[in-house]
Amino acid sequence: MDDLYLDNIDEFVNDQNKIVTYKWLSLTLGVHVNIAKQMLYHYLQQKRNESSGTPLHATYLVSGKCVENGSTCHKVSVVREDKLDAVKAKMDVTISVHVYSVQRAELKDSSPLYNTDYDAVKENLKNCNKYSAIRCAAAVSLSSAELQRAQEMALVPPVEKEISKPGLNENTSATSKPSAKQPAGIMGMFASKNASKSQESSKEVKTEQKEDSSLVREQSKVSNALKVESKDTRNKTKRPEFVDRDDEEIESQQKKRRRIKKPQPDSSDDEVVPDSPPVHNVHTPSPKKQVKREPVSHQEESSEVKRRKRRRVLKSNTFVDEDGAFVTEKGYVSVSYSESEEEPEPNSQAKYSSSLKQSFGKRKEEKREKSQKKTSTANKPTKQPSIMGFLQKK
Amino acid sequence: MATLTRQDLNFGQVAADILCEFLEVAIHLILYVREIYPSGIFQKRKKYSVPVQMSCHPELNQYIQDTLHCVKPLIEKNEAEKVVVVIMDKEHHPVERFVFEISPPPLLSISSETLLSHVEQLLRAMILKISVCDAVLDNNPPGCTFTVLVHTREAATRNMEKVQVIKDFPWIVADEQDVHMEEAKLIPLKTMTSDILKMQLYVEERTQKT
Repeated sequence: MDDLYLDNIDEFVNDQNKIVTYKWLSLTLGVHVNIAKQMLYHYLQQKRNESSGTPLHATYLVSGKCVENGSTCHKVSVVREDKLDAVKAKMDVTISVHVYSVQRAELKDSSPLYNTDYDAVKENLKNCNKYSAIRCAAAVSLSSAELQRAQEMALVPPVEKEISKPGLNENTSATSKPSAKQPAGIMGMFASKNASKSQESSKEVKTEQKEDSSLVREQSKVSNALKVESKDTRNKTKRPEFVDRDDEEIESQQKKRRRIKKPQPDSSDDEVVPDSPPVHNVHTPSPKKQVKREPVSHQEESSEVKRRKRRRVLKSNTFVDEDGAFVTEKGYVSVSYSESEEEPEPNSQAKYSSSLKQSFGKRKEEKREKSQKKTSTANKPTKQPSIMGFLQKK
Repeated sequence: MATLTRQDLNFGQVAADILCEFLEVAIHLILYVREIYPSGIFQKRKKYSVPVQMSCHPELNQYIQDTLHCVKPLIEKNEAEKVVVVIMDKEHHPVERFVFEISPPPLLSISSETLLSHVEQLLRAMILKISVCDAVLDNNPPGCTFTVLVHTREAATRNMEKVQVIKDFPWIVADEQDVHMEEAKLIPLKTMTSDILKMQLYVEERTQKT
């Protein structure tokens, strides 16, 4: 190959002040990734030998074996040039060092690297692995019908995903977004077909496994799971996002569990049953916990896909007032068993119960009522309606 | 055009929203890249499908949001010519000015799905350019601060004072020394033209920074 490419790279780096990653270079010039890496290497050598002009910075893709926490692992990471020697020293065996990118600016974080590749890959989405060294004949794009089915499956509990993961190790390119995508596991590195040298996935395996489990949980929540996955290959850039959303996930799982409990009280709510829950009393010990759940419940409600419908039923609440008097109120309360929405609260004067009804989804509030009904029957003098309610719950 | 007036109004608002969101991300990124604040307060978040660094400091975020909240009505009415992020040294002399020149789009057209993804692509490129701008700029002296200036028309400032848009966030007329920099070098960074907004980003840098 002639040396024209050196001028090309020079133009990109110096004149246009671009970040030239090997992936971007291979897609732009239409060459195999290994050739692109060599081109960058030669360019760097040449420029460094000249020792004139603007300083260049480079990042490297290092892979090797190292021992962390007592277990050996194969680590692949993108490092800046100034940290290269330190990282190599930490590894027991350094398997490969490739030039990842060349640029004029000293990068403070890895986001611009991802940004550079993003558009190039997006434009060549169908054949972004044309120049890639990772191949698998069995990896074919899913048809749109299969893709839809896969997206629906993603909402199923995460356990199945984890089992299927070792099987889906034949990724073609790390940042491509093909339809059937899972982060390449450690199996992918050792698969006989895939050459060990040309690893393009630039992530640490250990952290990737952690990332996978959090990723997997997320999938059960987010419907466009596949899109999220493709971004996860760059663990450095994405992990904080997971941390942010972890709280939501936990809440959503809790909410899911709560949902499963729901059917029992729902079936009993068809009839007009005068309740005697001491809604007021029992709420006092845990108003804080409920208040904390409020903002999450709003988010959750809007993001959940399948929900039960609600029906409005005339209900009367009996509870103890501040003065100790029994107060019965009737109001329409909606009961859920399919798609849900916001609804107006019933006319209730009780402080806690009304605030709850205003801020919670109806479903939650009724759940609470039901659960507290159970506990309350022990405390309060039992009335016939409450016993009925208790029995009907079953 | 006459039949589309209502859509035009929404259109202007949409464009202003997009622009203000972008400016917020850009300001955070400038603060990160130019090391105005320690990198510890920044956190990676996602915008336009790429990771960007945003600050977690509540007061800083509130300041930037209030600033842009006041700028937005000016943009909607096409009265903001430039939004400038000025970086000043300890003596409050500007060392760098990141100028976002905003002009109305050459051709006003109705937005569509493909249009917005194209705009997203252009904004992504702008973000990328800001990330690598330290290749073309000299280092700043330590202890720098920043401020945001808006170049607009006099009538607009009157309106701003009249309309109590700004609750406790008064804007003052900038001093001459903030607006003009002596011995400035002009470094263009990026230009983008799209159907809903047209923006140019360049940096004016003082030759002698210390």
